Amino acid sequence: MAELNETIHQPVRLRIMAVLVTLKVDEEVDFTYLRDLLEVTDGNLGAHLRKLEESGFITINKLFVDRKPRTFISANQEGRKVFAEHVAALESILKNK
Amino acid sequence: MNISPTEAEQALEAIQNIMEKTRWAILNSGAYIFQIVWGFIWLLGFLGNHFFDLKTSGFIWMGLDILGGVLSVIVGIRMGQNVRSPSGTVIGKRIAWFWLLLFLYCFALRAVVSPLDGKQMAMLIILFVMIGWIAMGLLLSLDSVWWGLVITSLSLIGYFLLPDIFYLWMAFLGGGGMIALGIYIRYRW
Repeated sequence: MAELNETIHQPVRLRIMAVLVTLKVDEEVDFTYLRDLLEVTDGNLGAHLRKLEESGFITINKLFVDRKPRTFISANQEGRKVFAEHVAALESILKNK
Repeated sequence: MNISPTEAEQALEAIQNIMEKTRWAILNSGAYIFQIVWGFIWLLGFLGNHFFDLKTSGFIWMGLDILGGVLSVIVGIRMGQNVRSPSGTVIGKRIAWFWLLLFLYCFALRAVVSPLDGKQMAMLIILFVMIGWIAMGLLLSLDSVWWGLVITSLSLIGYFLLPDIFYLWMAFLGGGGMIALGIYIRYRW
């Protein structure tokens, strides 16, 4: 039976994961672009991304593009699986109300 | 962890909203810039056709098209930096090649069917550009297809039914329409 995940259920992290699973499996999103999409601050986003990375749900890729440091984020397989289970659990709560 | 049905519903709604916003943003993040840039190019180019002779307006179009091409490449590269993927890079390069080949075919056709008057030449280029936009829409974003068909229809209406004001028609409805659509897409979210 699908279970809710407390880490993912936090509102900002829930939306982060929703954005990341919308991307294709081989796609990663720029930190600044993600920040603007979610309308959060750099610090806020950074803190939540760290939490998701520590939980093993996302991959953070830091590299240089045109000699400028850039950070790209993607949901990994575990993150996609746990998010799907979390959504299924939410839907189950609604169905059983 | 226990949550109420209301909280579950709100969470699902938040998920759906951000996923829809993400899809829209990614598909249109650069499209609005292309539309605004080429909208201004059409506006200025067709106003040039209306107010200047064919030779002068030809030079104006050449300059504007070069500018538009350079800006399009820059925008395309920047778009690829927001959401990256190995397959995305391949697709981006193929899109660039597609547009280059489309324009080469357009010029080749122009050479074959010459001589053309100013309006015929303009209409030929409009149709090739719109074929390109619709092809991109079919490949990347079906939302773009409808406006490509609208612009094509308006262009044909202007060409066949309003020949005396065709250039002004294209400047304001075609160019202005693209600018307006680009602004709408930009501020939709």
